[in-house]
Amino acid sequence: MKNKLVFYIVLFVALITSQILIFNQLELGYGVHIMIYPMFILLLPFDIRPVTLMVIAFFTGITIDWFTNSFGLHTSSAVLLAYLRPRLFSILEPRDGYDSLKTPLIRDMGRSWFMTIYLIGLVIHHFWFFLIEVFKLYEILFILQKTILSSIFSFLTILLIQVVFFSKQKEL
Amino acid sequence: MNSAGNITGRVMAYRQGITKHFNLSEANLRLQEENVSLRRQLPISYIPLQSGMVKINDTLYRQQFDYIPSVVLNSTHDKQNNFLTINVGDFQGVEIGMGVFNGQGAVGYVFDVSNHYAIVKTLISDNPNLDVFLPNGAFGLLKWDGKSSKEVYITGIANDIEVNIGDEVRTRGSRGHFPRGILVGRVSSFDVLEGNPLWDLRVELAVDYRKITDAYVIKNLQKAEFDNLEISKE
Repeated sequence: MKNKLVFYIVLFVALITSQILIFNQLELGYGVHIMIYPMFILLLPFDIRPVTLMVIAFFTGITIDWFTNSFGLHTSSAVLLAYLRPRLFSILEPRDGYDSLKTPLIRDMGRSWFMTIYLIGLVIHHFWFFLIEVFKLYEILFILQKTILSSIFSFLTILLIQVVFFSKQKEL
Repeated sequence: MNSAGNITGRVMAYRQGITKHFNLSEANLRLQEENVSLRRQLPISYIPLQSGMVKINDTLYRQQFDYIPSVVLNSTHDKQNNFLTINVGDFQGVEIGMGVFNGQGAVGYVFDVSNHYAIVKTLISDNPNLDVFLPNGAFGLLKWDGKSSKEVYITGIANDIEVNIGDEVRTRGSRGHFPRGILVGRVSSFDVLEGNPLWDLRVELAVDYRKITDAYVIKNLQKAEFDNLEISKE
């Protein structure tokens, strides 16, 4: 339990710092905006209570907002993702429920679970983010372009992070 | 809750301390260019045409604008609202609403201030509403559509006014934030706006927000007087 807490605190700091100092500075053009912090919300334990999850998501989002001058955009999308997470996870829930000893990582849950949950989660998060960032319905194509491209890049970055840093040798 | 805060400002200053070296040579070149253009205006660059003539400066001037130099700590250019964080704040005399420019052209307005840092809302934000004018005197408001960090547009110029591609667009200074005549950009294309007797004027910005490293905050010493008069009019 204590181990887990330390793991999540380290993960939180590492993801927030790399988001602010690295990924927010990368400007790839075509509206691509890599966001890796949704991974933190998706990685929280399976047995976490929905309210706790949303509170943690709120603080994750507001920390990012604080550094990027986006005034609540990240907070709103992070809380939305946290709100939808239990529903999202129930799509691919095993017959006996999730094993609370496991973490929602590609290592523990397998490739197809990871692909489905993370892609859907990221698309929802990014779509909401760009929808309220642009805030013009007649720009829907621009919003969709940003959503799709950014989701792909965010997904690949998260996949890379998980493969590199959470491989099987490094057990918690 | 933004990057002018104490902690966030410090983190950004620390980050800038590392990354500033990457574009140092280019920043130097730009500052040098600006120095050259200023040096050209100095009396030392001119020779008298007739030795017998003496120039007497018989007009009195009073300083209206003062400039506070600053370093850009953090910036974005691909969001819908783009901000800069600069390393001057309340203690250096920066106030909300002051104009900001650099050697290339107008940059934006001060949006928020803390003790040592300030946030600048750039021209590539939602409704920058900067008053600008064309060489022939026609004026309008600068807007941004959120697409490209190099292009903005002007509304309010009637389409019977003659416009040429390449015309310089400069600040009109009608709200006291900017001196009159700071370069904003050049007209890159224009077209008739459908259903309106107006031009759809596209302007290529003079400032490259992707490479911005330094900026000056404009302090209008007569702002209070100007504002009082403007308010009494209403």
